[in-house]
Amino acid sequence: MKAIWATFSRELRAYFFSPLAYIVLFFFLVINGIVFAIIVTSLNDPRSPAGPPLELFFGGTFLFWLVLLFITPILTMRLISEELRSGSVEVLMTAPITEGQVVAGKFLAVLTFYAFLWAPTLAYAGIVAYNSKVDWGPVVSGYLGILIIGALLLAIGTFASAVTKSQLVAAMITVAILIPLFLFGLLESMFDGEVAKQVISYLSLANQMDELAKGIVDTRRLVLCASVSWFFLFLASRALEDKKWR
Amino acid sequence: MIEAQNLTRRYGDFTAVHDISFSLAEGEIVGILGPNGAGKTTTIRMITGFLPPTSGRVTVAGKDLVDAPHAARRQLGYLPENVALYNEMRVEEYLAYRARLEGLGRAEARDAIGQAVERCLLSDVRHQIIGTLSKGYRQRVGLATAILHKPSVLVLDEPTVGLDPKQIIAIRELIRELGRERTLLLSTHILPEVELLCNRVMIIDRGRIVAEGSPESLRETQVGNPAVRLLLKDAPEGAGEALGTLPGAVSARPGASEGSWIVEHERATDLREAVFRAAVERGWVLLEMTRERASLEDIFVRLTTSDAAAAPADERPADASPADERPADEGTADETPGGETGGSAPSAARDDNDADEKEVVS
Repeated sequence: MKAIWATFSRELRAYFFSPLAYIVLFFFLVINGIVFAIIVTSLNDPRSPAGPPLELFFGGTFLFWLVLLFITPILTMRLISEELRSGSVEVLMTAPITEGQVVAGKFLAVLTFYAFLWAPTLAYAGIVAYNSKVDWGPVVSGYLGILIIGALLLAIGTFASAVTKSQLVAAMITVAILIPLFLFGLLESMFDGEVAKQVISYLSLANQMDELAKGIVDTRRLVLCASVSWFFLFLASRALEDKKWR
Repeated sequence: MIEAQNLTRRYGDFTAVHDISFSLAEGEIVGILGPNGAGKTTTIRMITGFLPPTSGRVTVAGKDLVDAPHAARRQLGYLPENVALYNEMRVEEYLAYRARLEGLGRAEARDAIGQAVERCLLSDVRHQIIGTLSKGYRQRVGLATAILHKPSVLVLDEPTVGLDPKQIIAIRELIRELGRERTLLLSTHILPEVELLCNRVMIIDRGRIVAEGSPESLRETQVGNPAVRLLLKDAPEGAGEALGTLPGAVSARPGASEGSWIVEHERATDLREAVFRAAVERGWVLLEMTRERASLEDIFVRLTTSDAAAAPADERPADASPADERPADEGTADETPGGETGGSAPSAARDDNDADEKEVVS
């Protein structure tokens, strides 16, 4: 536990010491601010149908996914590949710590930073609440969705970072996994069979996010998401261990 | 303290380390010597548990690296060849992080950091960002991390590589001091360093231990005849023949420069006086005369060069000492230190000086 905590706190600190973190934070907030403004403006148009703005904000637009597609590799690419490149992995792995603990500490750090990125968007909920009524249930489940889907994406990024010494390659692997994952839900309309449609719709991340934004918490989906994340983290620790053998 | 049994490591088809076994007793300072690519770093990485061996086992302070990796690693301090630190951290923060990683408690960590900082002379840069430190300081930070958790075994992979002479001396001083209270395994290809620091040497070439022993015993067993090197003015004719036939001389061969000669002689004799008299008798002007003592360098070159001709002839002691002659040599060699021949003590002291000169070059 102590070893995980040591890696976690070091890694989190590293995020806040790098200028990259603030650049990411800046653009992240600018883009989300624009998205939120667009949503609110269009909902204020008397011709548009009424709808809860926060529900649309959480995954209701493709911009949500675009932002995730960009920030995931930016946040995770450095995580393990930098240790492999610089060689600090050598002193790290000769300390009394396991590969799993290293991966866990680093993953928790990036997840915390990711949560920190989203934290200012709570203000949007506050703005809506100030001007009209907010149903807090879906807001909570929406943030849960952001966290759990974020965890999945970051786990994939962590894995990619453990595979290679190069941050660039790690980022590309991450994007290469994320794009099909995001587009997967679109396959639904291409299949005719009921079963196939159901399976795809169940696995689609977009559907999951929609449901959570509406306040529907399906534990099966959460468990699936969590176990896939865990699987990728497991792969990451295996990849790190495997580095020793070459 | 370290027990390595039949360590073998393969990378694909390439065998980097081939069935190496050795052990280190408590308090020993042992040097691993070898040319680049001989398998030093691979061996060291296997001992520190970074690389699992393809076969064989390692125990550190009685703890098996595979069965009890954490317990074994706690006993180990490791300074890798390339000291990789987190550049964005301050020295003290980094040490605090390492202390936590090693599982030290808060108060314990504070003491340990204080001590490590003091010992490695880091107090000036305590609060400095690691990325701004010079190579020497980084090396010291690396050493400080290695000794932070007070390990009983310290493994240093080329600790002085890339430092300036002043830093080298400082680091060496530190290593020597650290070696007083712990077992120390040191890899290097700087030969004088080994002579200065180590009780015992292992020479590794192409993944095998080719020689092992104290620097003195290696010298005795691995080296042929002692020699006298001299420089004569104007390169007189017939000098080689005259020198080679002096009583006690084994052979004489020309050195690198005009008029220089290397005269090998039997262990029991001191040829210098005879050389001097011969020079006086024949009217040669003797500009220089030195006793050649085989250094570890010679042994090293001899043991690790497959193609003997590749080594410059001048640097090598004669390969020509037949094996059957050696026992006789050893029998008589005992008399040498006590005799009038010059004694081993002064020459050992001089060796230290030599070593310091050489290190600057290397």
